[in-house]
Amino acid sequence: MKSNIKSRLFTFTGTTVAIVSFAFLAIEPAQARKPFTQDELAAQYKDLMATVKEGDDLWHSAKLGKNGLACANCHPDAAASNPHTFPKWQANLGQVIPLRDMINWCIQVPLEGQALDANSKEMKALEAYSFYMHRGFKLKPGENTRQHPPVEVRSGAGYP
Amino acid sequence: MTDFSKMNRREFLGITGKAGLATLVASAAGVSFGMVQVAEAAGNSRLTPFRFAILTDAHLYDIPDHKFDGILKKAVDDVNNMNPLPDFVVYLGDIGQSGKRAELEKGKRILSKLKVPLKVIPGEHDWYLDMGQAWRDMFGSPTWSFDHKGVHFIGMNSILVRDFWTMKGLTPDERMGFMEELECHHCGLWGVREEQLEWLKKDVKKLKPDTPVVVFTHSPLWDYYPRWNFQTEDAPQIREILSGFERVMAFHGHVHQVVYNRIGNLSSIGTLSTSWPWPYPGIELPFPDIKMNRVDPGDILDGLGTQYIDLEKEFSGALHYDAWADLLPEGVKKGVKL
Ligand SMILES: [Fe+2]
Ligand SMILES: [Fe+2]
Repeated sequence: MKSNIKSRLFTFTGTTVAIVSFAFLAIEPAQARKPFTQDELAAQYKDLMATVKEGDDLWHSAKLGKNGLACANCHPDAAASNPHTFPKWQANLGQVIPLRDMINWCIQVPLEGQALDANSKEMKALEAYSFYMHRGFKLKPGENTRQHPPVEVRSGAGYP
Repeated sequence: MTDFSKMNRREFLGITGKAGLATLVASAAGVSFGMVQVAEAAGNSRLTPFRFAILTDAHLYDIPDHKFDGILKKAVDDVNNMNPLPDFVVYLGDIGQSGKRAELEKGKRILSKLKVPLKVIPGEHDWYLDMGQAWRDMFGSPTWSFDHKGVHFIGMNSILVRDFWTMKGLTPDERMGFMEELECHHCGLWGVREEQLEWLKKDVKKLKPDTPVVVFTHSPLWDYYPRWNFQTEDAPQIREILSGFERVMAFHGHVHQVVYNRIGNLSSIGTLSTSWPWPYPGIELPFPDIKMNRVDPGDILDGLGTQYIDLEKEFSGALHYDAWADLLPEGVKKGVKL
């Protein structure tokens, strides 16, 4: 008896799922491309993580500046880099800026180095590291009254 | 002129202890002064009020005229201009950034301009290039104690990690490079380790429970944020050894920020650096009101400063942060009761 009830329930659920998915298929736009395959997604993720890693290395490197300091001197685990609060009015620059301008300010002033080209590989990597260390955070553009710790890191670099 | 006849036993030990003969003289004094002095020490004032100052975390680089040199010089000037002058200064570690002898020598040169005596303990940045060789050559043992005006002061090296470099085949430079990162995820937790725990047990064994005890370590003696080694692995054992005292005050460097906690009989407080401030980690502070304001990155001195402690008769007192910018909320400006 028991097994009978179970199998009936199963059939019922199966039918419902089939109807629901059919309804979704019907309204999907015809020009949408096929979903990324698992292999494609894996390759994209690998690229992203390589960029984050490159940013992590730069973040901890004295080579961006001329006085031995690195971003990580003041921002361990990208703490208080607050990427999710940009663009915002930045007091030390007196204007609204995106994160990359703040990164360049840090390179030029505290680190006494040369500003990076805003579209350089290095800048993209630094931004990627800062943002990835704040994944899941709510966007708060304009917020300039608080410092934020990054995602909780228990071990390792803080990303896969 | 100090009137030795009016001093109690512990004060006498404090003065002679400075000559580097603390242990020898201690037993000699015990014999010659005997019961009379002990009775005096049991009176209601446990110490003669005085001030001491703390400097820490200069992170000097082996680069001529580096900006941090000037900041440490400013801190030294500040201390020399304190009124009243502190009786001594304790430096809580991270004189250098990369453990180079030249960094430590530069720091020692700048700190030698202090008008008052100096005691020093190491930080991780001073140590892991040559495993403390240069530091010990310049500053002696990282483990010490002395008595001053009725207070027992203890300094220990809390930045000892287990060997993570031999297996990885790291060079001394690479080892130091790892340790230089606050969030080093290869280095493991710091501690004072067995030898210093044994030393501590012996050091405090003969002290009476009402002796005012002050401890200095580079890292906090509680689990604040282990990820950044805002902790000392064997702090529970240290607190246990000191649990017999009525009150213990602990001061630490390393966190480059205002932070306070109290566990049992021990109050622990963090100190301002002369290099850069560190943001608060993402945990709830045990005393959320005792914290510093957000720092203006455009002001090179914001988040930095010196500090002094005025100890009162009954071993109470406050730590005063001497911040160089508008860093402190009103409650903290008046000093933090210890
Ligand atoms: Fe430090
Ligand atoms: Fe440190």
